[in-house]
Amino acid sequence: MSPLLKCVELTKRFPGVVANDRVTFDLMLGEVHCLFGENGAGKSTLSSCLFGYYQPEGGHIECDGSPVKFNSPRDAIAVGIGMVHQHFVLVADFTVLENIVVGTHAKGWKLDLKSARARVDALCQQYDINLDLDAYVRDLAVGQQQWVEILKALYLDARILILDEPTAVLTPDESERLFHIIDQMCQRHISIILISHKMSEVMQADRVTVLRKGAVVGTVEIADATPDMLTKMMVGRDVALRVSRTNTADQGDVKKPVLEVRNVSYVAASGKSALTDITLTIHSGEILGLAGVSGNGQKELFEVLSGILVPDAGEITLDGATVTGMQSRDYMQRGVGLIPDDRFREGLIPEFSVQENMILGWQRDDAYTSGPFLSAAKIKENGGAMIDAFQIKVPSGATPVNHLSGGNAQKVILAREFSQSSTLLLANQPTRGLDLGVIEYVYSQIIAKRDQGYAVLLASEELEDLLNISDRIVVMSDGKIVGIVNAQDSSVPEIGQLMTGAQAA
Amino acid sequence: MSSIDDMPTGQRRIKVERRLNPNASWTLAMYLIATLFGLGLTALLIWTSGADVLKAFITLFDGAFGSQKAWIASLAKATPLILTGLATIVAFRAQVWSIGQEGQVYSGAMGAYLACLVFADLPVGIYLSLIILSGMIAGAGLGIIAAILKTRFGVNEIISTVMMNYLIVFLLSYLIGGGPWTEVSSSVVYQQSAQIPDAAQLPYLFGTAKLHIAFVFALIAAVFCYVVLEKTPLGYEIRAMGFNPVALAHRGTNIGRTMIIVMAISGAIAGLAGVSEIFGTSHRVRVDTLYGFGFTGIIIGMIGGLRPLGAVIAGILFGGLETGALYMKLLAKVPAAIVPAMEGILLLTFLIAGVAARYKIVRVNTND
Amino acid sequence: MTELFSEAILISIFAGTVRIMTPILFAAIGELVTQRAGIWNMGVEGTMLMGSFTAYFVATSTGSIWLAVLAAVMSGVMMGLVTAFMTVTMRVDHFISGLGINLLVAGLTLYWFRIYIAGRAQPTFDGFNSVAIPGLSQIPYLGPILFDQRLLTYLAFAAVPMIWFLLYRTRWGLELRCLGENPKALDIKGLSVVRRQYMAVLIGSAMTGLGGGFLMLGFSDRFLADITAGRGWLAIVAIIAGNWMPRGVLAAVFVFALLESIGTHVQVLGLNMPHQIFLAMPYLASILLLMGLRRKTNQPVKLGIPYFR
Repeated sequence: MSPLLKCVELTKRFPGVVANDRVTFDLMLGEVHCLFGENGAGKSTLSSCLFGYYQPEGGHIECDGSPVKFNSPRDAIAVGIGMVHQHFVLVADFTVLENIVVGTHAKGWKLDLKSARARVDALCQQYDINLDLDAYVRDLAVGQQQWVEILKALYLDARILILDEPTAVLTPDESERLFHIIDQMCQRHISIILISHKMSEVMQADRVTVLRKGAVVGTVEIADATPDMLTKMMVGRDVALRVSRTNTADQGDVKKPVLEVRNVSYVAASGKSALTDITLTIHSGEILGLAGVSGNGQKELFEVLSGILVPDAGEITLDGATVTGMQSRDYMQRGVGLIPDDRFREGLIPEFSVQENMILGWQRDDAYTSGPFLSAAKIKENGGAMIDAFQIKVPSGATPVNHLSGGNAQKVILAREFSQSSTLLLANQPTRGLDLGVIEYVYSQIIAKRDQGYAVLLASEELEDLLNISDRIVVMSDGKIVGIVNAQDSSVPEIGQLMTGAQAA
Repeated sequence: MSSIDDMPTGQRRIKVERRLNPNASWTLAMYLIATLFGLGLTALLIWTSGADVLKAFITLFDGAFGSQKAWIASLAKATPLILTGLATIVAFRAQVWSIGQEGQVYSGAMGAYLACLVFADLPVGIYLSLIILSGMIAGAGLGIIAAILKTRFGVNEIISTVMMNYLIVFLLSYLIGGGPWTEVSSSVVYQQSAQIPDAAQLPYLFGTAKLHIAFVFALIAAVFCYVVLEKTPLGYEIRAMGFNPVALAHRGTNIGRTMIIVMAISGAIAGLAGVSEIFGTSHRVRVDTLYGFGFTGIIIGMIGGLRPLGAVIAGILFGGLETGALYMKLLAKVPAAIVPAMEGILLLTFLIAGVAARYKIVRVNTND
Repeated sequence: MTELFSEAILISIFAGTVRIMTPILFAAIGELVTQRAGIWNMGVEGTMLMGSFTAYFVATSTGSIWLAVLAAVMSGVMMGLVTAFMTVTMRVDHFISGLGINLLVAGLTLYWFRIYIAGRAQPTFDGFNSVAIPGLSQIPYLGPILFDQRLLTYLAFAAVPMIWFLLYRTRWGLELRCLGENPKALDIKGLSVVRRQYMAVLIGSAMTGLGGGFLMLGFSDRFLADITAGRGWLAIVAIIAGNWMPRGVLAAVFVFALLESIGTHVQVLGLNMPHQIFLAMPYLASILLLMGLRRKTNQPVKLGIPYFR
């Protein structure tokens, strides 16, 4: 039986990097074939080539046995390939129906939503999807936006569906539902290419192709594979997939509260209530994990706790002093460090050099100035020290930060925030998009800070990581705290239930 | 990351790719091409007007830099241009798109003239200092208003500064066209102010009767801008604000305050240009003699690569062009208005060059 | 001051308002199309000026004002090509490229104007006259205000619902609005963002050129160097104040035109006030209008942001 879709020796280059290196891959009718690999392994690039978004420099693609050339996604869509992207491509101000319909080739100039509506309704019936077609996408929850993305592809009669990290923003419950629907799709003869880095999902596929640094390591049937084997293929060496359970440093029974948050609320400019009645305490020598799918108020919480946003109600106390209403400048000077989740946009000046970024926020401090001027010598020295201490791979301190890889850029932020803070560390998704090796490093550094007596708030979408590293975990949903558990006593299902329990309520 | 163009030529493709590292010689080549292209277009314009292109260019450059007298006139003309160029640079480096230099020039001239009237009896040194200071404060004031409109009310600074330009000119045209500053002599009403007193005239340099100390001020302002931008914490914040205000604000800097400071400095320097024109060159307040410094300053700032040294060089160049244009008009019969046209052309070609410098052309083999 | 409120004067003020609205309305509605596609064309003033000059040049050299109108539209298309090239292809910052275009056109039109009138009295032309709509123009009060205008004025007002229909009731309009909100959504389906943005810019600039042409042909008989006097900027402000919706833009343009009309009448009536106050009104009004905007903005999300893959 010939494969439905196949690529042979596919090569895709970008300036300075070979993203896909002679990749050979095929997809059979009705199967779920997983593309597995670390960040930067080339999974998304490969799928973009298969979807016609990128044009490969080498190799070719075959569909239904004969060679095809996709000059644009239109060609791929024409043969029935659809793609659901990891970062949604939706128009917030359009309705669900408009998002599905825009850019699809209906006949004529008139905007005919009626027949489109009928078709989408039928699809929703088929897959038991519950969506208000006239709702504005900006009002939808993240999980629901995922359905819109899927419907977009199904509306175009996709028989091959590429799903790029589909569960990255879903609760455990929603993920389960998604896989249920994937099953249904397979029964309807839709073949699926699933891109994922989560072992639990990989093991649900039929076959898996492991990519490492742009090249195929191997393709195996899941029936013949084990997680250890796949991890080894992915990373190239024996390594534990995640950081293992560590023990809290023993500080005796009495822990000093560092950060106390009481009844804090924040209403966004749009009028939506982003935080409602948040109350929590973080003690010194403690890592408080923050679980919850992005978009439920975590970002606002971090910004309130670092002084970027001022809460509309409630009180915040730091080391015993009331800091409610203060600005980020004050929080920084009181020893609060912030690792933002969008590192290039919120934590760095990409065009500035590494050493200049090391002093971001501290440019007026005596440590880096002499008189009214910046001291180039002090800045350079500090940069050099940080580069050494944190093993940042960079030609020199004068290199612009936008030349750095995500991991090294994150190290710049870590270096700065670790050295400038003294009491509280706020880490929002610090390992997102990083290689395993760097992830290990980041977590070990955070744990080291905890052992030094810092209070740490750590948000992560990887629940296993949170369970392994945190002392307690607070779960957020829709701007509220829905539960606080002891990490040692809890589990992924329990946290997942807390997240969805609130949503069901 | 991707290609702008994809022109398959058989098996060989030419792709345009974004550069990883800026290449100095490529960048220089791009700007050189831009200059040549701009000059070429200008030549085309001159040719279509029926004039002798070669003669036009020769007289243009001769009149600009061909003699000591020409140099002096060019440097004098360059003075306000360098200042407005610097004003543009300070704002644009912070990504504050102020188009208010034009209005701030007028405002500076008006503030200085007011001081000239009010402080007329003071000793010369103090008198001149107050005039200059008032001009700078008046210019800064206009800039600060635009900054406040942006930070408090979210009003786009391009629009607010453009609107204020018009408002200021209306105010001035009232003051000198029927209002209290109008010069009236034997029942004839002029659209200008009276001549400024001798004591208020800026002293000339080197005994020339053209180049005055404002030129030195311009150079000092250039050094000031350079030092502030590159060597001070404020400059760090200005540059960071221009690249990524979000990260800067997240790490403790008050963006609103910084913007006000930026606009104050920018406005003060532009106001100085107004002082230079009125109290150094024309010695009376008229709307038409002040016209255009602000807009040309934007071009100068951009062509100068948003660097103070670039503004000085571009300012001198453009000052030369405007001086030479009069010579060219006389001898080659080309309307002097070719100069603003040429300036506009050069701006656009330089903008394109700036973008082109970030890309490179690559030949890629594809096997089909 | 009370002379202002006599019936004849009031009708004249409002009739004048409708006429004054025409060029700004063309430019504003055209620019609205451009902006909804994500391109912030700051060069409206320059495009308008080019339209005015082209209209003048063609009108006085050929004697045909309709040919001049066509030429004005073509000049708008030319300016649109330059604008689109700079912003869509070269991805230069939208604000800077627009400003550059304004400066370039100011210089070019002055230069060409000087050459054109070198050594002779400035040529003039016969501009547009009003075309009264039979029957409707007899309605008391509204008749002379709304139905005794130039043909192009009727067109300008018709353009508003036409553009509304284009944006909200056609497939193409949905795609265009998508460009302003999230161009990647179209790119990801293999649809050309570049081509659509070019179209939007060309349409917008063509209309702006037309507006500039009318400014020349419907108001006077000769060209002045700064004939546009900031009207292109007012068009941009009208879009912001109108919250990027056709009816809002119409309302804002009305306010500006009304102020200008009042100002002209005050000058003509010779009231004892510095006339600059009334000249300044539209510009002051725009600042105040923008200051007062506190509601939810409809600004296209990706407006002004060059699209990179």
